[in-house]
Amino acid sequence: MPELLRIAGLTAGYGDVQVLWGIDLDVREGEIVAIVGSNGAGKTTLLRTISGLVGARAGSILFEGREISKAGPDEVLAAGIAHVPEGRRLFKGLSVKDNLLLGAYLRRDKAEIQNDLDYVFDLFPRLKERHSQDATTMSGGEQQMCAIARGIMSRPRLLMIDELSLGLAPALIERLSEGLKAINGNGLTILLVEQDVMTAFELASRAFVVETGRIAKAGETVVLADDPAIRQAYLGV
Amino acid sequence: MDFAQILANGVVLGALYACLAVGFSLVWGVLNVINMLHGSFIILGGYLTYFAWQMFGIHPLIMLPIVAAFLFVVGYALQAIFINKVVTAPVLVTLTLTFGLDMILYNLMTVYFSATPRQVTLGLGSIQLFGVYLPVVRLLGMALALLLTGLLYVTLRGSRIGRAIVAVRMDRSAAALMGIRVNRIYAITFGIGALMAGAAGALFAMVFPITTNLSGVFLGKAFVVCVIGGLGSVPGALVGGLALGIIESFSGVLLGPQHALTVGFLVMLLLLIVRPTGLVGVKGYE
Repeated sequence: MPELLRIAGLTAGYGDVQVLWGIDLDVREGEIVAIVGSNGAGKTTLLRTISGLVGARAGSILFEGREISKAGPDEVLAAGIAHVPEGRRLFKGLSVKDNLLLGAYLRRDKAEIQNDLDYVFDLFPRLKERHSQDATTMSGGEQQMCAIARGIMSRPRLLMIDELSLGLAPALIERLSEGLKAINGNGLTILLVEQDVMTAFELASRAFVVETGRIAKAGETVVLADDPAIRQAYLGV
Repeated sequence: MDFAQILANGVVLGALYACLAVGFSLVWGVLNVINMLHGSFIILGGYLTYFAWQMFGIHPLIMLPIVAAFLFVVGYALQAIFINKVVTAPVLVTLTLTFGLDMILYNLMTVYFSATPRQVTLGLGSIQLFGVYLPVVRLLGMALALLLTGLLYVTLRGSRIGRAIVAVRMDRSAAALMGIRVNRIYAITFGIGALMAGAAGALFAMVFPITTNLSGVFLGKAFVVCVIGGLGSVPGALVGGLALGIIESFSGVLLGPQHALTVGFLVMLLLLIVRPTGLVGVKGYE
């Protein structure tokens, strides 16, 4: 599979605090890749740096061979990377449909936007039922569906999801995982940040383990799942 | 004066107040900027309308869209060049900046236009409806004020740019992740605020004499309307504007016109204590 994203020696931080200390990571087309690690390891900062919300200090981010480490959020999205932020961050006071349309903000192809609306409504029928409701009044699981659907509405080549399972019941996580597998089956590459390593390893074929701003381990999830150190640190066995 | 007449006067005035305040409210709600320029924007719109009519004979209704477009450009430029530099700073910083810019604009207008009260006199006569006497020009002003306010509402609720403005207001960094260029939306929003002020000024110039000295009065009214109705929403400005118009109309008759303004501010203070979100404001949405 051709390479979609390659990050090399990436450092970033906020003010005097450096969070990322030289991240190397790659994502190939069609994959689901997970980034796991404990709280404060830098997973969210990594996604925020890729999407241009946080400026990269050194290193490179190549997306389809193009350097995007200096690009702003709108350029990164236009290049084809959508970012579903931690805590869903849906827009209060706007309906589910308006939230989804904001996902397609950069697009001008009205007919195709309508097709994609139908696509995400097919994927998550709950959103169709609630399309006119204030998005932030839905349950946590429904909000996560809406946030993922909003990410898809930009028609990205790579979908980054920060904390898919946070605060959700196991049955809902199962439902969302199925949705993600279906989306991936339709050809969308996914980069998933997840604190729940079990969920992450079930979904992803490869994973990167982040510890204090560095990649501590990387590899196939089936191999990592048998790694004694990872089993002890993250899987609780 | 009978009840219906006072009420009608209040509603006419209130519609103009809504149009006057809605841009101020939008800028405050979306940018968290208290725009001290707003009163002078209204005066500028009014003066431009007056001088175009007096010097070139251009009808105010033709000037209205021209003035509105011109003020949009002025507002957009001011935000893009100056205010965006400090827009994330605490509210006192942006308030000081717009206050300074207002001093410049206010004094420029006083120098070049003088402070003489000016009014466009169209002489359209008046009509009588159910015993209520209504000058046509005021009815026209009211209708246009409501129309413009309604247009703004439809734009915010139903258009791509309107959704982007609401999104930026609710969550700036999530909006950036949608590909929205936040600073550009700020400039557009500030431009729309100035546009509504300019349009309100054009309408006011047809109904009342305006002078630069009224700049602070208009700003104060915008403040009161926002607090009474609820900050940052078009329905809030509409309700607040109509409420203030009716309050002023009744207190002007009952207590004398010199007390109308005081009563308006008293109601504002009262609402700040008992219902700080305003009459139709939503908590967390202010």
